[in-house]
Amino acid sequence: MVNARLSRRAALRGGAGVLLGGASLGVLPLFGSPDRKQDPDSCRARDLSASQKRLVVSNWPAYIDEDDDGYVSTLTEFEQRTGIKVDYTADVNDNLEFFAKVVNQLGSCQPSKRDMFMLTDWMAARMIQVGWLQPLDRTKVPNLHANLIDSLKGVGWDPDRTYSAPWQSGLSGIAYNKSKVKEVRSFEELLSRPDLKGRISLLTEMRDTMGLTLLSQGADPSDFSGDEWDDAIDRLRKARSDGQIRAFTGNEYIQDLSAGNILACEAWSGDVAAAEDENLVFVSPEEGTMIWSDNMLVPNLATHQGNAEKWIDYYYEPEVAAKLAAYVWYICPVKGAQEAMEKVDPTLVDNELIFPTAESLKTMHSFMALEEFQIRAYEGDFADVIGG
Amino acid sequence: MSLAADRASRSLRLTALTKEFATFTAVRSLDLEVPAGSFFALLGPSGCGKTTTLRMVAGLEVPTSGSIHLGDDEITYEKPYRRPVNTVFQNYALFPHLDIHENVAFGLRRRKVKDVDRQVKEMLALVELESQAKKKPPQMSGGQQQRVALARALINRPEVLLLDEPLGALDLKLRRAMQIELKRIQTEVGLTFVHVTHDQEEAMTMADTIAVMNGGVIEQMGSPAELYENPRTTFVANFLGQSNLIAGSVASAEGDVVRVDMHGNQVSIPAERAHARSGEGWVGIRPEKVLLAPAGEPIDAPGNHLTGGIVTDVSFVGVSTQYLVQMPWGQELMAFEQNTGRRAVLAKGTKVDVSWRPEFSFLLPASQDVNAGVLEEA
Amino acid sequence: MRRGRFTGYWLMLPAALWLALFFVIPFYSLLATSLYDPEGSVLTGYDVTYHFANFVDALDDFWEPLLRSLWYAAVATAICLVLGYVLAYAIAFKAGRWSSLLLVLVIAPFFTSFLIRTLSWKLILADDGFVVDTLQFLHVLGDDSRLLATPVAVIAGLVYNFLPFMVLPLYASLEKIDGRLIEAAGDLYASPSRGFLKVTLPLSKPGVIAGTLLTFIPAAGDYINASLLGSPNQRMVGNVIQNLFTSTGDYAAAGALSVILMAIIVAMVMVYIRTAGTEELV
Repeated sequence: MVNARLSRRAALRGGAGVLLGGASLGVLPLFGSPDRKQDPDSCRARDLSASQKRLVVSNWPAYIDEDDDGYVSTLTEFEQRTGIKVDYTADVNDNLEFFAKVVNQLGSCQPSKRDMFMLTDWMAARMIQVGWLQPLDRTKVPNLHANLIDSLKGVGWDPDRTYSAPWQSGLSGIAYNKSKVKEVRSFEELLSRPDLKGRISLLTEMRDTMGLTLLSQGADPSDFSGDEWDDAIDRLRKARSDGQIRAFTGNEYIQDLSAGNILACEAWSGDVAAAEDENLVFVSPEEGTMIWSDNMLVPNLATHQGNAEKWIDYYYEPEVAAKLAAYVWYICPVKGAQEAMEKVDPTLVDNELIFPTAESLKTMHSFMALEEFQIRAYEGDFADVIGG
Repeated sequence: MSLAADRASRSLRLTALTKEFATFTAVRSLDLEVPAGSFFALLGPSGCGKTTTLRMVAGLEVPTSGSIHLGDDEITYEKPYRRPVNTVFQNYALFPHLDIHENVAFGLRRRKVKDVDRQVKEMLALVELESQAKKKPPQMSGGQQQRVALARALINRPEVLLLDEPLGALDLKLRRAMQIELKRIQTEVGLTFVHVTHDQEEAMTMADTIAVMNGGVIEQMGSPAELYENPRTTFVANFLGQSNLIAGSVASAEGDVVRVDMHGNQVSIPAERAHARSGEGWVGIRPEKVLLAPAGEPIDAPGNHLTGGIVTDVSFVGVSTQYLVQMPWGQELMAFEQNTGRRAVLAKGTKVDVSWRPEFSFLLPASQDVNAGVLEEA
Repeated sequence: MRRGRFTGYWLMLPAALWLALFFVIPFYSLLATSLYDPEGSVLTGYDVTYHFANFVDALDDFWEPLLRSLWYAAVATAICLVLGYVLAYAIAFKAGRWSSLLLVLVIAPFFTSFLIRTLSWKLILADDGFVVDTLQFLHVLGDDSRLLATPVAVIAGLVYNFLPFMVLPLYASLEKIDGRLIEAAGDLYASPSRGFLKVTLPLSKPGVIAGTLLTFIPAAGDYINASLLGSPNQRMVGNVIQNLFTSTGDYAAAGALSVILMAIIVAMVMVYIRTAGTEELV
């Protein structure tokens, strides 16, 4: 009798469990993740630029000049000239992080509350692909089309610069600590020299690290085949299993390099200049460097596109571009800025990190545009090597 | 059953034992001998040094100077776990994570004694807790916990069992019952018990010998009756029961009688109870020894006879009546009278004569504080 | 009177809402993620197709960092237990009037961010730092060896970061122990070491259980220590999950791995509590 009651209770409990489990499985599809593609033609806002003299901009930290006593920044001059009040925030720290910040709004045609933000090429390409960005009116940005340097024209993901305007560019190459180790000339050396074993770091940015690896394997990062990719990823995997690589890092590698934890590393040009450590040397590897740009982009439902276009056109004036470049020390994407630099700071006119020569430009490569399925596969391969 | 059978009991001797703490001296040069097999009580108000003395015997405090001996062995600096001494702690200190059986077995297991289970069962039988062996201490009543604590200490057959206010946490009725129980067990097992308490009634009920402690020293030591009948200090006179203490001056001290002039009345005190032989002193008499009669009527007690009292307060408490009698010099004396029915209860305001038999009175030096020990018990 | 019958249920409402909002919904969301069709992507969207093979795939691909995480967390917890016990014991019984100050010092690291604290360990354990120099001088470490980017550094970081989670519950349960119980043990022939084993240690068991759980669970899921103090060869499952979610955008695998980690931890905790026993936790 007791047993019977017990087993009935157990059966009831079991039944309830099954029911709950079944109900749970039924509920799960509600948590699916929707398609994020949008159509920029239909997902656009009325431009209020004429009536509202405002502009909301998101950019990376330390990426613009600032007012200092006696020095009037390019941004302040822009405001004075146009009467547009700029709401400028340095809230882009990482492409993927920023993507995560806006994916829910832009992915479902909601306002991102920004008129413009600056993102790196590949992320810009991705956003163009899914239709999150508004095309710029060519007639409103004549300086962009007249003054953009040739090497940045005709990129695969935005051939006519319809959606993007480069803000600044930079190089990925090699840095080493000259007080600790003799010169490192090539990326292959970095991956194989015995005296560097366990004392180098590479970047977690897939396009930079794989671009340089592809170059070292004789492939062209802007146009490579699946086999070439496999060779490159194998090369990287071997370096890792050999114990050559100490770490895959983000921005923090520069401290490790200064501290001597690593002797040489893959590095971004601007960082080495900004570190102000005379022992740190930036080298363009013999195989070539990767060049990347951060681009001014106008998202769907931006309400001040006209003002954003005024901003872009303003920063493509050579004098303004020179003034900005003298402050941030990145590659200036504006033709004529080199000449204009004579007046701003003559010592910087021949600085290769700001104005690369035609010769060195030939050694600078960009990474080819990837389809979503390629991103998945390649990021997965890369994550396998740097993690797990 | 004699738990002490396997070891000859030895006396406990404290010599010039002193314990100083940073800001005060708890025990001052204490000398004490506890005979083997006795039930000994250390009685005193809180802060008198009795618990510190006990803890030094247990090894939980290290004396500043002096020595502790068990028979001929010195144990002054012996580690607590190496002394044949066990303690029943105030609030019992039972191990909450162990059941009753394991609590009682704790000491045996530490000494790797065989036959633990049988001994524990016997011990639990002695304290009448056989059926509770599997319970945990928090599930038991205060009285049961107290008996577990006793069993846990007794099972080790210590040469000396120390009891630190063991009944303090129990209610009055249970306390009375446990007093009798403890005395029974002590008689049964024949061990030396040293019992610390601030309750004079508890000490008198159980102990063979009481040492009254005050301010880190022993005021007086002796059997309960001795201490009660013939206190040597005002502290003992007041702390153990109650006393009437009346100022007087010694008129003569010859032979076995001391005569004292007390506010114009001559009273006599046996020499062996007179602890002052000249000058001023306190004449002491216990309230139940004070006899009353309406003024002028005869009192059947020869000896000290005082007149001119007035009853100022009457409390009827059933078996007895307590009177306050104001004497001509203003002092109020207490008198307890058995309600034998021989005479009606005296009304408030009645003029009375007062008397007592000289052999019940005692004389203390006037240098002692007349209020020492009063109400300290509470 | 009748209205009062339901008061109890209404009072439960805030807690129930809280649970629904911060546990049930996220949990279902995670469970759904783990059953996504792996062919989806962040941009094209994911459908819940009950793709249970995600679990097999995730285990197959990532069993190594998964085991490594459990191993590192177990070692770190064991070290924390020993260090934390000594520390908590000293604070509870030996520190006297210094105990509150010491407790504040135990919590003091929380005044800075987790990230900053871990980064400063990077400086302390640096190849040219004094720790490595000293160990090399003493020949504990070879001239060419290092601490950073080794399991030692990662475990040291875990120990450092989670030690307060061990110390505080241990302290709480040790501090509660009545000193007279330890005196009683001594009185009953237990030497200090036996007294510790038979009385202090069992009475501090609730603290030991709480402390080990509070240390092991976050340590097993941690990724900061491995990514800042380790090299790719010390990656823990947290790093893998983070990578899958943010870089690769492989939500299905990331979700499956998260669910697996959670299931393993829940199972381990249940076995642990059952073996350690909680019925004595007064």
